Amino acid sequence: MRRQHRSRRAPTFPHGYRYRLDDQDEANQNYLADEEEEAEEEARVMGVPNLEEKEKEEEQNEEEEGQGQPTGNTWWQKLQLMNEYLWDPEQRMSLARTGQSWSLILVIYFFFYASLAAVITVCMYTLFLTISTYMPTFTERVKPPGVMIRPFAHSLNFNFNVSEPDTWQHYVISLNGFLQGYNDSLQEEMNVDCPPGQYFIQDGNEDEDKKACQFKRSFLKNCSGLEDPTFGYSTGQPCILLKMNRIVGFRPELGDPVKVSCKVQRGDENDIRSINYYPESASFDLRYYPYYGKLTHVNYTSPLVAMHFTDVVKNQVVPVQCQLKGKGIINDVINDHFVGRVIFTLNIET
Amino acid sequence: FQKKPEMYSVELSGTKNIEKTDKGDGKEKHRDLKSKGWNCRRNHQIQEIKEELNLNDHKLSNEDLENKYGTNIVTGLSSARAANLLARDGPNALSPPKETPEVVKFLKQLVGGFSILLWIGAILCWIAYGIQYSNDPSSSLDNVYLGAVLVLVVILTGIFAYYQEAKSTNIMASFGKMIPQQALVIRDAEKKTIPSEQLVVGDIVEIKGGDQIPADIRLLSSQGCKVDNSSLTGESEPQSRSCDFTDDNPLETKNICFYSTTCLEGAATGMVINTGDSTIIGQIASLASGVGNEKTPIAIEIEHFVHIVAGVSVFIGIIFFIITVSIKYPVLDSIIFLIGVIVANVPEGLLATVTVSLSLTAKRMAKKNCLVKNLEAVETLGSTSIICSDKTGTLTQNRMTVAHLWFDNQIFTADTSEEHSNQTFDQSSGTWASLSKIITLCNRAEFKPGQENVPIMKKTVVGDASETALLKFSEVILGDVMEIRKRNRKVAEIPFNSINKFQLSIHEMDDPNDKRFLMVMKGAPERILEKCSTIMINGQEQPLDQSRAKAFYTAYMELGGLGERVLGFCHLYLPADEFPETYSFDVDTMNFPTSNLCFVGLLSMIDPPRSTVPDAVTKCRSAGIKVIMVTGDHPITAKAIARSVGIISAKSETVEDIAKRLNIAMEQVNKWDAKAAVVTGMELKDMSQEQLDELLANHSEIVFARTSPQQKLIIVEGCQRLGAVVAVTGDGVNDSPALKKADIGIAMGIVGSDAAKNAADMVLLDDNFASIVTGVEEGRLIFDNLKKTMAYTLTKNMAMVLPFMLYTIIEFPLPIATVTTLFIDLGTDIIPFIALAYEKAERDIMNRKPRHKNDRLVNKPLVLYSLLNIGVIVTLGAFVVYFTVYAQAGFRPSALIGLRVKWENNDVNDLEDSYGQEWTRYQRQYLEWTGYTAFFVAIVVQQIANLIIRKTRRNSIFHQGLFSNKIIWVGIASQIIIALILSYGLGSVTTLNCTMLRAQYWFMAVPYAILIWVYDEVRKLFIRLYPGGWWDKNMYY
Repeated sequence: MRRQHRSRRAPTFPHGYRYRLDDQDEANQNYLADEEEEAEEEARVMGVPNLEEKEKEEEQNEEEEGQGQPTGNTWWQKLQLMNEYLWDPEQRMSLARTGQSWSLILVIYFFFYASLAAVITVCMYTLFLTISTYMPTFTERVKPPGVMIRPFAHSLNFNFNVSEPDTWQHYVISLNGFLQGYNDSLQEEMNVDCPPGQYFIQDGNEDEDKKACQFKRSFLKNCSGLEDPTFGYSTGQPCILLKMNRIVGFRPELGDPVKVSCKVQRGDENDIRSINYYPESASFDLRYYPYYGKLTHVNYTSPLVAMHFTDVVKNQVVPVQCQLKGKGIINDVINDHFVGRVIFTLNIET
Repeated sequence: FQKKPEMYSVELSGTKNIEKTDKGDGKEKHRDLKSKGWNCRRNHQIQEIKEELNLNDHKLSNEDLENKYGTNIVTGLSSARAANLLARDGPNALSPPKETPEVVKFLKQLVGGFSILLWIGAILCWIAYGIQYSNDPSSSLDNVYLGAVLVLVVILTGIFAYYQEAKSTNIMASFGKMIPQQALVIRDAEKKTIPSEQLVVGDIVEIKGGDQIPADIRLLSSQGCKVDNSSLTGESEPQSRSCDFTDDNPLETKNICFYSTTCLEGAATGMVINTGDSTIIGQIASLASGVGNEKTPIAIEIEHFVHIVAGVSVFIGIIFFIITVSIKYPVLDSIIFLIGVIVANVPEGLLATVTVSLSLTAKRMAKKNCLVKNLEAVETLGSTSIICSDKTGTLTQNRMTVAHLWFDNQIFTADTSEEHSNQTFDQSSGTWASLSKIITLCNRAEFKPGQENVPIMKKTVVGDASETALLKFSEVILGDVMEIRKRNRKVAEIPFNSINKFQLSIHEMDDPNDKRFLMVMKGAPERILEKCSTIMINGQEQPLDQSRAKAFYTAYMELGGLGERVLGFCHLYLPADEFPETYSFDVDTMNFPTSNLCFVGLLSMIDPPRSTVPDAVTKCRSAGIKVIMVTGDHPITAKAIARSVGIISAKSETVEDIAKRLNIAMEQVNKWDAKAAVVTGMELKDMSQEQLDELLANHSEIVFARTSPQQKLIIVEGCQRLGAVVAVTGDGVNDSPALKKADIGIAMGIVGSDAAKNAADMVLLDDNFASIVTGVEEGRLIFDNLKKTMAYTLTKNMAMVLPFMLYTIIEFPLPIATVTTLFIDLGTDIIPFIALAYEKAERDIMNRKPRHKNDRLVNKPLVLYSLLNIGVIVTLGAFVVYFTVYAQAGFRPSALIGLRVKWENNDVNDLEDSYGQEWTRYQRQYLEWTGYTAFFVAIVVQQIANLIIRKTRRNSIFHQGLFSNKIIWVGIASQIIIALILSYGLGSVTTLNCTMLRAQYWFMAVPYAILIWVYDEVRKLFIRLYPGGWWDKNMYY
């Protein structure tokens, strides 16, 4: 029936071929397309022949224009086509879809994504049920411990002029701020005084709250800022605090505490003539280990070692390397300059 | 109808004479108009040719010629002068079409496709490093390396594509080696045989029957010389040549022979007047090379794909650049995002693998006798919607074969298959015994000696086409024909000539006791019948009365109507008393009776279709491909062959058929009722462009008969105006413009001329139409499979681009690095791409219509389904693994959000995680690489599922067979192995950003891989359940 329909039209409307090919195209895309649809399609074609003819006329006009000025109009035509693609007022279509079609596809995608989201959420949820919130599953990435110093303000180069407080005031402020949590009163109130020289092991479920050992600011003596509120910066004898990165469950091996030792990294070793360590043992006492994680070990304060550079060569850059020493401590990773060691420079001007 | 010069002559011979005729001849003008489009484009060239073709050598006398070319008709040129001329004019050979310089080809590869984007990426990398360096001279060289890698990728894929292309071009180079032709030339008053390439103008050459004319020659003397000009003018009849000037038009005059035409018989001496490219054929060939080569459909499709991808990546890149800059990201970071988006979007390895897939198909097709010159043409055949095919040699076997016999008032059918093996007609009748004797004896054809072991049908025969057919026919049935002829010694003979229209010979009997002579005769049936008074029925001579004559005519008409060449056979026993043994027969005075003979039977011959062709035509038809026959042969023969191979199907009728059936005049028949049409070249000449379009559009079965090769071009252009993808077969030099013009030109490997092969995209090694059909099948398959490849590629784009976008917006540590995306594009995905090219067809691809030009390789459903369905699942699956890796190391998802700035700060070496642990920068970096590796592995695992689901687009995987394509599994193995090597083998090489991944992370994405598979099976199920429905339209790619 369809073919007859075409044949009748064809001789009178030679330009109708195009449409026939287009029809074919549709048939191609769904070459399993059932007869019903074809019939429907035909009904549409037959029902609104005017539309088709009008289109055809337009096309003819366009063609003629195109032939007249073959080069100048192509961009304009493309733009028009694009515009029509974005919004075709005649068939009320945008991006080659009608409103109905758009809403349908949006609904379908909404449901698809909703169910996908549900599936993924369930998956993630069950997966995270298996991951404890108290203890990390794997800690090998964060071991061995890294080292960091205070005061720290963007840079590991300490440049200051003793006689110009402006150049070192921010170190003092930073240290003061950092040590607020170590105030003796606070430590005594929150934490327990546990026996030194041994691990402070607290058995019990992992979700039970753990007690923390006191680390009082006063342990730092001359570097506590209690006697000298300028932490020695005003006299050219700067205090630098060193802290070891927290790692859940980390215990220094064999029960020996980790020691800190600093020296000139490069150059004359005598550039630093003396360093005082506080606590004097220059070590992190075993009682501060292990760490049970921030959820249960709420008041845990990292132990510190203060280095008091009491006699450093002035007016020259002195590179200093502070290393952790102890069993199970690695301090010579090539790529990571902060594992088991920290390197900074002192340039104290007078 | 050959009186008027054809198209070329109209264009070429711009002599006033022709222009005058043009004015007087409206029809001719019309033709000219039709070819105008072509004319305009080539106007400049044509102008040149017109000037050069002021050929007037045919008008000159011999003396003038001698003067003009400084030669001597008797002694020829001197060797020294010949050498000078050779140096001046160059060798007498057609220069091959101009090749693009290799460097240009290579550079094209370096800037084509995605290369531009990658160059931009590389330059951005170096700009980024420049900014980094100006801020901090010690910054890492990562961006420099990345830029270098991108450039390396461009260059390597460029080299690879170039190599692939060069390899396929080399296939053709092997063709070029032709046996060098020799020419007999008179130089220094001596006859010499020299390679025809060394001929120069002024040389005196001698030609004889069977030679190819070595150059354009003005004849000086001729002995019955006939040439076959069919490759130049399309005239299939031999043209006689003499030394007389007969026509102003050089193409029409009798005293010029043209380069590359053949001398059929006789001998001639001539003077070379044009050599090499300045010959007429050379000019046509150069004209053909000027006809624009259209872009192949697959090139258009791939370009479309590149545009989509490039558009998307540039769009996303720019949008994100603007967003990141406007929310006050450092410009450096914005540039790095931009690089990431571009590199992640571009499937770097895809285009190279598409080339591999195409060349794999090309190889497969070469095995099936389709040699593809241009790799991209592999697919073109698949989208072909009209095939314009030659008849002779392509559809037919190109040899006359006995098709029917008529004796004892009965038509018998002979076996016309290639093998000729089973002749089933009744051979017991006495009439057959007599008929077979006439066939054997009244025949001058002979087998060339030394072919004892060659099958009969393949033996070479000396003799004309019909005699050859008869010889082979009788050899198959009767056995050794030469032996029979020996026993029946020939005493006299009158060869066939066009006046007598019969051939006669007189033989002794093989029975030594029988002293009679047997006169046998064959010829045009009506002429033979005239000479007969009796007819043999069942071995008995019967008087030839009215009714028997009527039966003869009925049979004759019937066989003639089949388009067959019919021969009549009769004999007469000459009584021994009148013609004693010593009787001397004189063929000039005919001192023997040539009337009142005994009619024995009719034999009809045809060039039969190849046995594989009808099947192939049916396949084409069911594949929605229209097969149009274009032949120079008679309409009746053409129609008969068309019917027998199915180009005109059994039920459909032409206008003439309808008129005959309804017994009305042809004008009264509604033209559009006839499905089939047979159009002759003359009718075609009178048609306007619109009429031709109408004809092509409204008849599904068309045969063009009596057409010249030039008209082929008009037909091709007509088909292309209808939007069809046209394949054209051709062999002659004059076909080359049509071959060039066609979307895919197919040259014949055996009979095809070099010019045709040069112009074609494809060469049929066995000249067999059926090979085209296998080519169509392969072409369609590769299109489907490339579609699958594209879908497969696009899917992971989502999983590579989305992380960058989320990284910018949500600011968690980068999930996958730019370098890592390259591992997927250039590592794990390469073999799967190629593996998909080996996928078998889902169902009969030959049962659907050819692809329309609007049916894109990468269409909307494909993009939507790949990116927004499977792509999203892959991305989510990969993110789940990513989050798990971070969570198990200490950073739970909630801690990751907004972490980017701190995370990437090199000075922060005690960043706290969800458990209160503190991380140095390098520890975080290492975790980030672990994240990359995990994300990468998750994509790879899901890509395995993606690869499996892409095996089919509609059928269930289990229907297709999970293991039907072994290469897919090679691809999967390659993915896993490459991932394992990257993680465990090269995990310690920090610049690769890979780490050794915990074993369990490898299996984390498996559930999502299964989800992908299940989801796709559900999609396919819905498509199968509701064909044509909404789901089918939007989800079937």
